[in-house]
Amino acid sequence: MDGIASYQRFPTVKIRELKDDYAKFELRNTDASIANALRRVMISEVPTVAIDLVEIEINSTVLNDEFLAHRLGLVPLTSERAMSMRFSRDCDACDGDGQCEFCSVEFHLRAKCIGDQTLDVTSKDLYSSDHTVVPVDFSDASGYENSEQRGIIIVKLRRGQELKLRAIARKGIGKDHAKWSPAATVTFMYEPAIHINQEMMESLTLDEKQSFVDSSPTKVFEIDDETHQVKIVDSEAYAYDEEVLKKAEAMGKPGLVEIYAKEDSFIFTVESTGAVKASQLVLNAIDILKQKLDAVRLSEDTVEADDQFGELGAHMRGG
Amino acid sequence: MDMEEEYDPAYNEDEGEDITQEDAWTVISAYFDEKGLVRQQLDSFDEFIQNTMQEIVDESADIEIRPESQHNPGHQNDFAETIYKIKFGQIFLSKPMMTESDGETATLFPKAARLRNLTYSAPLYADVSKRVIKKGHDGEEVTETQDFNKVFIGKVPIMLRSSYCTLYQNNEKDLTELGECPYDQGGYFIINGSEKVLIAQEKMSTNHVYVFKKRQPNKYAYVGEVRSMAESQNRPPSTMFVRMLSRTSAKGGSSGQYIRATLPYIRTEIPIIIVFRALGFVADKDILEHICYDFADTQMMELLRPSLEEAFVIQNQQVALDYIGKRGATVGVTREKRIKYAKEILQKEMLPHVGVGEYCETKKAYYFGYIIHRLLLCAIGRRAEDDRDHYGNKRMDLAGPLLGGLFRMLFRKLTRDVRGYVQKCVDNGKDVNLQFAIKAKTITSGLKYSLATGNWGQANAAGTRAGVSQVLNRLTYASTLSHLRRLNSPIGREGKLAKPRQLHNSQWGMMCPAETPEGQACGLVKNLALMVYVTVGSAAYPILEFLEEWGTENFEEISPAVITQATKIFVNGCWVGIHRDPDMLVRTLRRLRRRVDVNTEVGVVRDIRLKELRIYTDYGRCSRPLFIVEKQRLLIRRKDIEALQQKESPEDGGWHDLVAKGFIEYIDTEEEETTMISMTINDLRSARENPEEAYSDTYTHCEIHPSLILGVCASIIPFPDHNQSPRNTYQSAMGKQAMGIYVTNFQFRMDTLAYVLYYPQKPLVTTRAMEHLHFRQLPAGINAIVAIACYSGYNQEDSVIMNQSSIDRGFFRSLFFRSYRDEEKKMGTLVKEDFGRPDRANTMGMRHGSYDKLDDDGLAPPGTRCSGEDVIIGKTTPIAQDDAGQGQAASRYTRRDHSTSLRHSETGMVDQVLLTTNADGLRFVKVRVRSVRIPQIGDKFSSRHGQKGTVGMTYTQEDMPWTVEVAAHMGKEGDATPFTDVTVDNISKALHKCGYQMRGFETMYNGHTGRRLTAMIFLGPTYYQRLKHMVDDKIHSRGRGPVQILTRQPAEGRSRDGGLRFGEMERDCMIAHGAAHFLKERLFDQSDAYRVHVCEKCGLVAIANLKKNSFECRSCKNKTDIVQVHIPYACKLLFQELMSMAIAPRMLTKDVKLAKDLKKRGA
Repeated sequence: MDGIASYQRFPTVKIRELKDDYAKFELRNTDASIANALRRVMISEVPTVAIDLVEIEINSTVLNDEFLAHRLGLVPLTSERAMSMRFSRDCDACDGDGQCEFCSVEFHLRAKCIGDQTLDVTSKDLYSSDHTVVPVDFSDASGYENSEQRGIIIVKLRRGQELKLRAIARKGIGKDHAKWSPAATVTFMYEPAIHINQEMMESLTLDEKQSFVDSSPTKVFEIDDETHQVKIVDSEAYAYDEEVLKKAEAMGKPGLVEIYAKEDSFIFTVESTGAVKASQLVLNAIDILKQKLDAVRLSEDTVEADDQFGELGAHMRGG
Repeated sequence: MDMEEEYDPAYNEDEGEDITQEDAWTVISAYFDEKGLVRQQLDSFDEFIQNTMQEIVDESADIEIRPESQHNPGHQNDFAETIYKIKFGQIFLSKPMMTESDGETATLFPKAARLRNLTYSAPLYADVSKRVIKKGHDGEEVTETQDFNKVFIGKVPIMLRSSYCTLYQNNEKDLTELGECPYDQGGYFIINGSEKVLIAQEKMSTNHVYVFKKRQPNKYAYVGEVRSMAESQNRPPSTMFVRMLSRTSAKGGSSGQYIRATLPYIRTEIPIIIVFRALGFVADKDILEHICYDFADTQMMELLRPSLEEAFVIQNQQVALDYIGKRGATVGVTREKRIKYAKEILQKEMLPHVGVGEYCETKKAYYFGYIIHRLLLCAIGRRAEDDRDHYGNKRMDLAGPLLGGLFRMLFRKLTRDVRGYVQKCVDNGKDVNLQFAIKAKTITSGLKYSLATGNWGQANAAGTRAGVSQVLNRLTYASTLSHLRRLNSPIGREGKLAKPRQLHNSQWGMMCPAETPEGQACGLVKNLALMVYVTVGSAAYPILEFLEEWGTENFEEISPAVITQATKIFVNGCWVGIHRDPDMLVRTLRRLRRRVDVNTEVGVVRDIRLKELRIYTDYGRCSRPLFIVEKQRLLIRRKDIEALQQKESPEDGGWHDLVAKGFIEYIDTEEEETTMISMTINDLRSARENPEEAYSDTYTHCEIHPSLILGVCASIIPFPDHNQSPRNTYQSAMGKQAMGIYVTNFQFRMDTLAYVLYYPQKPLVTTRAMEHLHFRQLPAGINAIVAIACYSGYNQEDSVIMNQSSIDRGFFRSLFFRSYRDEEKKMGTLVKEDFGRPDRANTMGMRHGSYDKLDDDGLAPPGTRCSGEDVIIGKTTPIAQDDAGQGQAASRYTRRDHSTSLRHSETGMVDQVLLTTNADGLRFVKVRVRSVRIPQIGDKFSSRHGQKGTVGMTYTQEDMPWTVEVAAHMGKEGDATPFTDVTVDNISKALHKCGYQMRGFETMYNGHTGRRLTAMIFLGPTYYQRLKHMVDDKIHSRGRGPVQILTRQPAEGRSRDGGLRFGEMERDCMIAHGAAHFLKERLFDQSDAYRVHVCEKCGLVAIANLKKNSFECRSCKNKTDIVQVHIPYACKLLFQELMSMAIAPRMLTKDVKLAKDLKKRGA
């Protein structure tokens, strides 16, 4: 503005790939702290719903009660509603015992093996009291033959064994227990900038070029079939392993390539557990990040804004 | 294949293709399929049951009882004499049985034995015949014979999976139905419900001549020794020493190299020539012939000169015998008796393995001469001294021989008791009832006692070995296996002698070079290598017959002069004769052995230098199978391997077939010294293709695979050949503490302690041997992604940072089971303890824990969550009213509490409750409590390379360092068998191909900041083990707490909520600091501070009544001069103990001088 350089930046996002459980996007014009904050929030602070309380009525399976409860807890549940749900610990309706519709969802599971065949008890056997919160369906949309019984196996039953239980799912965040984390993997990388010194490269023989290209464990470079020039095929495949730099050094050609990481652009890869869509995960994370920042601002000038930011206020205190 | 045919000129149509190292694994599989992993235990026990037991019964002579003449006036006997003869005949062993207290008998299964604390044993019966020989006054004889068939003589514990076990040859399905783990190998006993292993005991072999050089200065220069023990004799070996004196020690100067021998029961050493003369070889020439065979050997003859001169005065047999007799135990008897005594000793006690009958003199003289010959060879320097630690000179007592010894002792005791009983009956003129005479309890409880306590031998008798029987380790499957293959050397642990602890060359392939404990028992406790077979022993008779047939000349036929030209033949250390064509003899013997015409475990050792052929058939030798090589080529061919791979039923073909076809033979440690073994099959091929550069052109055998030198625990280590050697030893010890799945039937077992891993994984990197150790089926670890990095500093000094999110998801979660047991004991005939909920109204001494968890039956039901000191088994004992009667309120108590409560530091859920009756028909309960152990800071983990560490910090996923990409690998297991061709380069190339950095480095990002870490991090999946040491079991602190009753010092140990010891070294520190008050506080105020009142006159403790404020020393009649002194309670206790010994420790509070004055005044 008016000749005075502004340090204000406007981060941009460019989506490269988007699937239900997978997203790949670029985040530019910001720095590592923001990128990492986003990553961390996605992993551990975006709320989901997961089974948190199990009442076992009958269990004659080979796994003991704690084992089953742990496994049930890890079953991902569709959690689109999680953002608007209440944490059961500050739910007014049920005083925190986690039995009301605002903060919890009830599940029932009942299975008994009568036949000689081993019976698989899967997440599909969990019956939810709320159709919006159900075990994530992993059956491939492209639909191969085995569409039925593809849930997550909880336990296998032998003839005569029985399992009957009631489970309560609650809202929570990944920081408290990994079962509430909506993210499978969230990573980002610094976009690499690669410059080939073509002049120096041309001083190499074809064999040398080939060995230079092969020295990278990932496929970053390639030799053009026609021009026999070394060119970059996929700079993002570069894993900062510095193998090519070492190779150049070993060939007595330091500076053959120059690679540095761009400090302000990041390539994110987000994989979701299925509880929340990958795209939603990113949005929720941004929301939460925003709320957290609001809370910081609030704490300066507002005295009793707890009601207004209910969940978040508690969040800031507790988590 | 076609190519090879063209190019290999040595290729021969009917020989077929060579096998590869890979094919060797087919052979190894065949071995383990047939033999399993505890074959030595099973074979040894079967030998005991099938042969030894009957032999022991047979070798005991008939019991003959003649009535002692009784004074019985007015009674005239019909017969002059009545002789009772009792004979034990055929024995019979039934399947394991159990008789309930109501008399019902049923087959016993191991599961029931384990759960109900019974003994898994089978009744033993014997045919007994009683003969009564009545001799009339007129000399006529009447014999009455009475046969008792199958008389019960005791119960013998049965080894699991042995041929008398109920599980023998059951298939997997049946085993599962019986509640057994199909992977369990057996090889142990169940005594009172606990699983007991008999640890193999190492000992020196008997009947073997050893010559040792003595370290000078010493009276003796050389010592030859033989520990002679006749076969099937239960006597301690009789040791004979033949010693050559040192040149300097003799008085007479240079000529003093006398050779003398020790004889049993003879106090002094006897010159060897005198021994010969006493044996009946009088002439010098005769004697020398027996020693050095060749008179041309002047060197040896010269060494014998001093000995000849020494014995010059004794020139005939009678004098020689008298000379020996005089030095025996008998004193003041006639010359005749002395001579007879000496003769007896020579016949029965000297070298009993050569013979104890009459007319053994020639044999004995030859053997005695041979000992001297060996001694002289060493003295001349033609042979090195013998090696005490050579494994060929060691024998192992396994379950069979150990039980055999015990059974022999107990059976003798039984027969002795029978004799005593019958004698009493006969003397009293009562009828003899054999059923009463035979006390089955002798054998039943005798065997049980030793197996239960590990004290081998009779209770409270001297010379027993402790720790022979141990409780089977059930922590991890590998630890169980390893325990079943353990070996102990009963040498004093304190002995600083390092040699027996060192790994000896001859242990190659027999003992695991890595698996041994550290510290006191290092090298003394060993573990068998994977393919070792311990011989069970076979009769020497067929060998002797064979030798006879093939032209062995015995001593009667030969003159000593021919010995030099022939080869001496020894069978089990006993010189039986000579043979003039040993080449042919050895070849025939080996051929017969390879055809299984001669037992495969027979050892044939041809010592060309000594001109000896030693044949061994005894038990306890270590041997191992090897491929047989002829003309630098394995006898086993590719087609044999194919046949092996294609076999359908386990019956046809298999390992035994390979042995019977002569492809493989067992070589024991001593025979191994006479073989030339190629390390790999490839070595053999290159030796064939390239004879000039070959190490040997006379290979006789080939290793099946070099990695088989390792034992059970070391076989789990990947790439042990790339490790520093102590790391392998550390891992061998740690692998036994790893959690996994120790048996598949753990749900049906009530082990006192058990750990089970939630989600065990098979390792990504395996060894070939693991397949046979079932490590993939019963794993003990998880493939964790491990990075070697500095990150936040919470992983310093052997600690690791763990991902809390992974832990949340079940990473290294484990179950912990602890079982509590109790029974309703009978107290007297009527009074019995009762399970039930104790009632506060009438029960004395109730615990402070909660009784709420108990049901009406006095047991906490499954699913009860309990913690702290909650009572889980309620039990009360009635108290006799008259006892409780004292005191006024006491009468309301009719019962005393004897409940069991949970350990105070543990919590858990009641998992399973078992209520049955035990062997005495008493109610008996086991309660298993389960808890989940989630990894936390302080828990111990390790890799498989002796790298242990504790968790120093747990970080959630977002705080952990991360990489950009998580990629899939090749989808197969890595092979890390040692001594193969896998190299670091191979692996690097494979990594590179998969898109990884060659050396396993990866770029990582800081989880807290998102910045790239400057250094690349070594990262990859690594198999980790969770070890049983967890903080929750160790955490302990105390402010105040219980004290010992005797000393009033704080109790010791976490389980008693004890204090932490402020020891000597800590005390030293405080002294050095000069922190005197602190020291006093620790050692006195915080420990056992006490105050006493002391009479100032006598210095002894006075009577003080603080309430009435009255003080008195009665002996001094002093009520005024009394002071209060602060002393430790332990000190007060010491004073009182001293006083009880009539020592008066006086505490003088004033000046010492004054006290003396007092004394004077008193006097």
